Amino acid sequence: MTAISLSQLSKEFELAARRPGYGTFKDLFRWRRGNPSAGGRFLALNQVSFEVQRGEVFGVIGRNGAGKSTLLKIMSRILRPTAGRVEMRGRVGSLLDVGAGFHPELTGRENIFLNAAILGLAHSEVAARFDEIVAFSGVENHLDEPVKHYSSGMHMRLAFSVAAHIEPEILLLDEVLAVGDADFQKKSMDRIERTGQRGQTVILVSHNIQTVLRLCRRALCLDQGRIVAIGEAAEVAAHYLDIGGTNQGARVYPEGPYAPGDSVARLRAVRVRNRAGDTVTSVQLDQEFGIEMHFEVLEEGAILFPSLKLYNEDWPALWATDAASESHGRPRRVGRYTEIAWVPPHLLSPGVLRVTSAVHSFRPFREHFVEPDTVVFHAVETPGGARGEYLGSIESATRPLLPWTVEYQKAPES
Amino acid sequence: MRTDDRAASTHVTVIDPAGGSLWSVIAEYRNCGTLFWLLALRDIRLRHRQTAFGVGWAVLQPLLPMIIFGAVFSRLHVDTGGIPYPLFVFSGFALWLFIGNSVTSASAVFVNNFEMINKIYFPRAVLPLAQTAALMLDGSVAVFATLALSWWYGFGPSWTWLLLPLPGFAAAVLAMSASVAAASLTAALRDIKNAVPSLVQMWMYASPVLYPIAWIPAPLRRIAGLNPVTGLLEAFRYCLFHTAPQWSLMAQSAAAIAVLLCAAAWVFRYLESDLAERV
Repeated sequence: MTAISLSQLSKEFELAARRPGYGTFKDLFRWRRGNPSAGGRFLALNQVSFEVQRGEVFGVIGRNGAGKSTLLKIMSRILRPTAGRVEMRGRVGSLLDVGAGFHPELTGRENIFLNAAILGLAHSEVAARFDEIVAFSGVENHLDEPVKHYSSGMHMRLAFSVAAHIEPEILLLDEVLAVGDADFQKKSMDRIERTGQRGQTVILVSHNIQTVLRLCRRALCLDQGRIVAIGEAAEVAAHYLDIGGTNQGARVYPEGPYAPGDSVARLRAVRVRNRAGDTVTSVQLDQEFGIEMHFEVLEEGAILFPSLKLYNEDWPALWATDAASESHGRPRRVGRYTEIAWVPPHLLSPGVLRVTSAVHSFRPFREHFVEPDTVVFHAVETPGGARGEYLGSIESATRPLLPWTVEYQKAPES
Repeated sequence: MRTDDRAASTHVTVIDPAGGSLWSVIAEYRNCGTLFWLLALRDIRLRHRQTAFGVGWAVLQPLLPMIIFGAVFSRLHVDTGGIPYPLFVFSGFALWLFIGNSVTSASAVFVNNFEMINKIYFPRAVLPLAQTAALMLDGSVAVFATLALSWWYGFGPSWTWLLLPLPGFAAAVLAMSASVAAASLTAALRDIKNAVPSLVQMWMYASPVLYPIAWIPAPLRRIAGLNPVTGLLEAFRYCLFHTAPQWSLMAQSAAAIAVLLCAAAWVFRYLESDLAERV
């Protein structure tokens, strides 16, 4: 059953110079004289259409300014669209920011009722869930203090708690999981996962890919107000990481002397592939993949050492040579070679990876070619990896899933 | 916004550039009573928290002008139709302050609550309406003070006191319409925020708060009820002091209030669509 359907939704903003909010009498008179030249128009959303089924947790990703927040603001009725239509079946609740609807001078208790009323709950309904809300938020001891004395963490816990407990059939969330300690984040994530199972529909806007991948099966990616990808969350995430990138997945060099190389060896092509032989732009961490280098040997008997180096955004991630292959250190015949370095599952960290391809000789040392960024691809996190239940950021170049052994000794009896 | 839990699965929200139909809007406002009362209580609590006199200000506010104007104008022997001038002034201010304060405080309500407007949806007009509702507490206290003062001066109790809810209701409608209009216009054009205090003061001097209707120049007097406060004050003083009622003025004002109500609703509907962008 379709819970949410958007058709051809567009939103146009007038730019700052003509924004009505800063209207003064002076502007009004200038406008009357017909001088609308100042400022311009800006399409924040451009003909966005999609559908979300009941019970789905659906992700919306995109860079800053891509239109994510505008989309959610229209769906939660804060902004009106310029064109198009949204239809939502079921009660809609939204949590667009920490502490929205909280009044700093009122106490936590008063604010729970006020906030819940704004979110659409009757007084008796709040009263029935009051204890649950307070317990989930963990601010019991500060209930009768004005919220202006709260820390931002307490603020956010209380707001999420209220929003989560009103149990609307459709819940719109914007970046709210970015705040709070790890413990609360886990509680909130579990809560969202369960809302999906209970038949509630959730739209989750985030630019944290890991959160989206963990919680959403389907997602869409916005860029400059348009949907540029929609479908399986992992695929969409890969597309998001792609925006603006080149050499995705495969690169073929021209025949002849313009390809990297010298009179001994010359690079022909590099690609990222799966076991089936298809070129891919993104790989899931739990799957094996290969980096295939295609090069030409031009001198009979050359002893060559091909190598690959993978870099992620921060550091070199992986070093791969043919050191384990039987052709290593042996004279090669003139001709074309295709070599594949197979990367086992659960080795890399998620992110954008760039591949440097090189061929050297060692006696004497000679660099035939070292070509940086031959291909770029994306490693996408999947459940069941080395991350486990941990939700924070993991700063490591690789993330192997290692076999652990556990030994237990009973505490000595005293 | 809110629907009953059992009916919720059949509840359909449609969002398009035009906004909802008039009926869906009315239904929405009928459903947000809880929010309305909570906001009104919030306003009351905030206004009186950390003030020494609390709701006593509702009496002090008309009392001070009564003393000042009473002292100054007592030498002029203002003909108020037999009502002692200080009592006349107090009754005028008791009603006027409710309307004037409503407009003044409501005019900035959208701008001041921009955090809420920008982060969450609720029927927007609830903000100025709740603010006016909160001021009704002060207004009622002032009216009871007027009754006490009248009695002390030897007017009443009269059976016309029982009619007081009628001008009270009209005053509430007037204050709410003016508040919603002022709040919407201020959000659209910031200059209005600076103009409101002077406009409200001019409105007061244009209304028979301090002076009797007889002071209005004769040609204007016949249409003086087009200022809704004129007829309202007449009705109020008729109920209080059982003076001769000016039916035509009251009828004019009732019509003026109805027109203002429609105008305020129209202005609000027109400006509401991009309120979150304006504030």
